Amino acid sequence: MNAPVDDRLAALRGSARRLPYSARSLAALENNPRCTLRALLDSSGSDKAAIAERAGFPSPFGQSTFALARGNAFEAMVKANGCAELLRVLRETLQLTLPEVGYTDLNDVGGDARPEIRAARTAHLLVRAALGQGDSTLYDHPMLRLIVGGHAVFLEPDLVAFRIGDRFHVVEIKSFPIIDGQAAPAQVRSATTQACAYVIALRAMLAQAGIGPQAVSDQIILVAPKDFTNRPTAAFVDARKQVATLTRQLDRIARIGDLVALLSDGLTFDLDPDSDDRPRRPAEELTSALDQVDTTYRPDCLNHCEMAFYCRSRARANMSLDVLGPAVREQLGGIDTTTMALGLARGQLVPADDQREMTTALRHAARLRAELGGAA
Amino acid sequence: MTDPLDALEKSISTLRRAIRDASAAGDTDHAGELRAQLRRAERAWDALVDTGEPVAPPHHPGPVAVPLARGSQLPAREHVHRALMLLGTAAAPKLLVSVHEAFFPGELSASKLSSLRRDEERSFRSSPGARPYYLCPALTHDLLSPVRALITISTWPLEQRIIGPLSPRVDFLTGTVRIAEAAQTATPAEAGPGALQLLWRFAVNIPGALPQDASTRPTGPDPQRVIDAARAELAIHTDADHATRTEAARRARKKLADDQQLFGAPLQDVRRLRAVD
Repeated sequence: MNAPVDDRLAALRGSARRLPYSARSLAALENNPRCTLRALLDSSGSDKAAIAERAGFPSPFGQSTFALARGNAFEAMVKANGCAELLRVLRETLQLTLPEVGYTDLNDVGGDARPEIRAARTAHLLVRAALGQGDSTLYDHPMLRLIVGGHAVFLEPDLVAFRIGDRFHVVEIKSFPIIDGQAAPAQVRSATTQACAYVIALRAMLAQAGIGPQAVSDQIILVAPKDFTNRPTAAFVDARKQVATLTRQLDRIARIGDLVALLSDGLTFDLDPDSDDRPRRPAEELTSALDQVDTTYRPDCLNHCEMAFYCRSRARANMSLDVLGPAVREQLGGIDTTTMALGLARGQLVPADDQREMTTALRHAARLRAELGGAA
Repeated sequence: MTDPLDALEKSISTLRRAIRDASAAGDTDHAGELRAQLRRAERAWDALVDTGEPVAPPHHPGPVAVPLARGSQLPAREHVHRALMLLGTAAAPKLLVSVHEAFFPGELSASKLSSLRRDEERSFRSSPGARPYYLCPALTHDLLSPVRALITISTWPLEQRIIGPLSPRVDFLTGTVRIAEAAQTATPAEAGPGALQLLWRFAVNIPGALPQDASTRPTGPDPQRVIDAARAELAIHTDADHATRTEAARRARKKLADDQQLFGAPLQDVRRLRAVD
């Protein structure tokens, strides 16, 4: 990334500390790649939660402490007693043979848990394993390093399993249940997307040692509680498509300069915090800065983006069809707002050439609705 | 430190004398405690003679000063020691609590354990060797640094306290065998239903340890079957694991000071990390 763009991003962030990408914010790239606001805030390292709060749309959730505790407890249970439960599950899914039980803990290096040191050790051990000189099959909490838009990001998968003579598999341990072989699609999707970031980081790390991408499997292993019990089960999740999408999005981050070039000079999301970290910038001023940037709101943004409530209210104010979700939006291709859709349906607006077909359908629907209403 | 065998023999004879004195004085509690220590010392002596390997010298060879005024933390220590002796392997606090609940009376909580570990090292540093044993961390095979949350006993040979890549599994299988043996010999009064529950929890993760049709288990797991299954898998890993541990123990004796052999070598800088491989 060139220096002017970096300076411009730093100006957008203002005086606040730069927040690094995390597996979650990387996953968001894949969830809603078209959102300009999100791309700018993430690549400038702005604190989205603080900005949303100052703009008057605090996100009432965040990660629940109960969910976190439950997740950690389940992970600890799965890995307890020499990964006893995990080994059983992996022997069933990965067909690990009995001798493949070697375990390396990468949570710290001799009591030192600094990410740089852990990343160095992880790289050292995993490259050795890939070259066939390793002595372990399970690598607990390896620390991976990925360069995103010129900045180092540290990512920490739950576990990486190495099948001798075969490939690395990223293992995600999640505490939502797999019931009758089925899990909640939204949760599986977010788990897989996170794991995709790990796959990409792992490949990047091995590539530095001259090892090809085929050394890391596209199949994520999801370990989760079985049915209504607390015992783990595992399933393969095919992540090929998501890995490809996320890879493409990561390449695009390098082109953030194109987006930045479109912004007016002097635009900033700086909160101007005082010494106690209380924002001093007037909310109206901040909102008008945010309003200058395009957003692409989708209802599922509420699941993962701190800015979602702000974007929703903006989409509502603009009568945007975004509020109704991608299904409705795609149905009404070429029409952007509810006002326009209603106007066309009522015959108050004259359709442009590309809207003619859609208008016929809308008017037909309006007639049906009127007839039903009249009959009632 | 002189030859470990000499040190042990000296410690054994000191203990014998102390037991005679205590019995003569009619202090049965004290004598019982000393007898337990004597048995441990004798076992260590046996192990030493059997392997012929130089093992870690025990760190309590001098006259055994039995703490007369028991600190409040002593019972928890004893509980942990007893559970560790039953397992015979390094163990995480959670496992120690489960084993304790399954086989022994009294209360032991995981939170007590974490403060206990800090106390042990502090006590050792302030007066090394004042206690007959210390609870200390297991050591990693490569960096010889303390392993997160795995507790061992200082009187064990280094080989038993080192954790290589295969050791977590080996220790799990060994622990299972010990639990199954204890469940076999314990009277129902000693071992509550917790013992069989614990054994079942372990056995489900060992191939062949439970009957194929898991729905028909009227009486819980069969300890002998679990032992056989665990030993069968153990046979696969044990040689490689033993080699790693022996090599690491040799390195530890050469490189580390006495206290570091107990509590681990802290990592000084990243360069050492490279030097290890």
